[in-house]
Amino acid sequence: MKLSSLGYLLKEGAKNIWSNRTMSFASVGVLVSCLLLTGAAVLFSMNIDSAMQSVEGSNTITVYCTQGLPTLKAVQVGEAIKDIDNISECELVPKDQAVEEMLEVLGDNGTVLEGLMGEDNFLPDSYRISMADLSLYDETVAQITSIEGVEKIIDYSEIADQLTELDDMVTTVCFWIILLLGVVSLFIIANTIRVALFSRRLEISIMKSVGATNWFVRVPFIVEGVIIGLVSGGLASLILNVAYDNFISSLSILSFFTPLPLDPYRLRIVLVFLLVGAGFGMLGGLISIGRYLKKDVGVLTTL
Amino acid sequence: MITFQNVSKMYPNGTHALNHVNLNIDTGEFVFIVGSSGAGKSTFLKLIMCEERPSEGTIIIGDTVVTDLKRRQIPYLRRMMGIVFQDFRLIDNMNVYENVAFAMHVVGASNKEIRRKVPYFLSLVDLQDKAHCKPAELSGGEQQRVGLARALVNNPKLIIADEPTGNVDPALSFEIVDLLSEINRQGTTVLMVTHEHSLVKHFHRRIVEIHGGRVVADTGKVEVR
Ligand SMILES: Nc1ncnc2c1ncn2[C@@H]1O[C@H](COP(=O)(O)OP(=O)(O)O)[C@@H](O)[C@H]1O
Ligand SMILES: [Mg+2]
Repeated sequence: MKLSSLGYLLKEGAKNIWSNRTMSFASVGVLVSCLLLTGAAVLFSMNIDSAMQSVEGSNTITVYCTQGLPTLKAVQVGEAIKDIDNISECELVPKDQAVEEMLEVLGDNGTVLEGLMGEDNFLPDSYRISMADLSLYDETVAQITSIEGVEKIIDYSEIADQLTELDDMVTTVCFWIILLLGVVSLFIIANTIRVALFSRRLEISIMKSVGATNWFVRVPFIVEGVIIGLVSGGLASLILNVAYDNFISSLSILSFFTPLPLDPYRLRIVLVFLLVGAGFGMLGGLISIGRYLKKDVGVLTTL
Repeated sequence: MITFQNVSKMYPNGTHALNHVNLNIDTGEFVFIVGSSGAGKSTFLKLIMCEERPSEGTIIIGDTVVTDLKRRQIPYLRRMMGIVFQDFRLIDNMNVYENVAFAMHVVGASNKEIRRKVPYFLSLVDLQDKAHCKPAELSGGEQQRVGLARALVNNPKLIIADEPTGNVDPALSFEIVDLLSEINRQGTTVLMVTHEHSLVKHFHRRIVEIHGGRVVADTGKVEVR
């Protein structure tokens, strides 16, 4: 294709968007929502994964003693746990060590806890245990709970399971919403381009009467779709980046959860969004043009 | 130039628009196609341009058997034709120059070629002074002359005009046909559908009359002095 034709076709595509801006605006809006939701769902999932990895690091069962239990009593609790047949490992986590670990996780935000070492420590002593035979899980837990001085048992693998479940649920719900939004945005883009086709039907019929190829007739409308897609992709990646950064900084006061930093993914998000947006736009364009040109557009026939 | 061999056209709704038409038009002829409304004149032109395909028979244009043509080859056939419409079909928001240039743009002409040829064809139809007017600022006759310039600008071998004077003042109709005659004198074949007896009488040309989808009268080739 000649360069002059290319410039001409690009210009015509951009013109379509401008002369039909309400519809173009709607297309961009829906496509941006669709991309944003997809991005948010993926980021959510990634965060859950990373949270799970940190939980898996302590993929053991922790037995907490009653708070304020004298150290001697706490040692006795440990002996009682070790006496249970199914216990293969039982390691004491003194309360001071627990505070130190917590400080490590919290970093700068943990300074408030520094005064809590020693006598003021409000954390209970605890034991990290593992079982030899997990099929006896329930009975073993019951045995441990019945020991005097045991406050509660927390099984982090259960939390991990719950996180996985939450992740699966969010993924499923998002999948259907994204699918729906995807179909809606395709429909709206296709309609936007159909309106453009209709408002330019005189030009199209003249193009066809002087022997423009179907490709030449199509390209401006595909360009229109692609531009809508690229604008949506750019906008969506911008919004997602900014929104996620705000999300991180607003969460940083919370201590128990460190969100994944976005930096390694920024460029990838932009590229993927632009690509997906352009793909959607092109597809929307092709759908409406295919239907419009199927019946050879009238040349002599009155419009 | 154009050969119809036993051509029939039935529309999907069952209308027999053309029945067993046999016709031969040589290169360089000027032919008036006449006949009452609904006779099948436009259908005849549509078959030539491949806007409709015949239900039966063979159509040959130049050395192309149109009936064998694939869909994607049709645009290239149309590039040897220039089409003039009854309703002008000028694009409102383009001026005269742009309307003519448009026809060149869309077949991939270079900007240089466009700048060279558009003024030439505008002066041929005597509109060089109105190049920057919008269609709405022109009379019907002037608008049709823009249509004519647009049909000519890609150097067609065949001009197809479906009632080109239908929306033009009768007095100015002669002007349009004069221009078509001038183009024909330079070797371009012209097919013109018309209702106006005065035109047909004034210009001594071949006349083909269609009635009920059949060719009912044909003066045959007319030699022009
Ligand atoms: N697309 C179409 N579908 C069905 N019937 C048509 C179509 N176009 C034309 N006709 C019918 O074919 C006949 C010939 O039409 P046409 O060629 O337009 O006549 P003319 O141009 O001589 O007035 C008419 O009866 C018309 O109603
Ligand atoms: Mg007609």
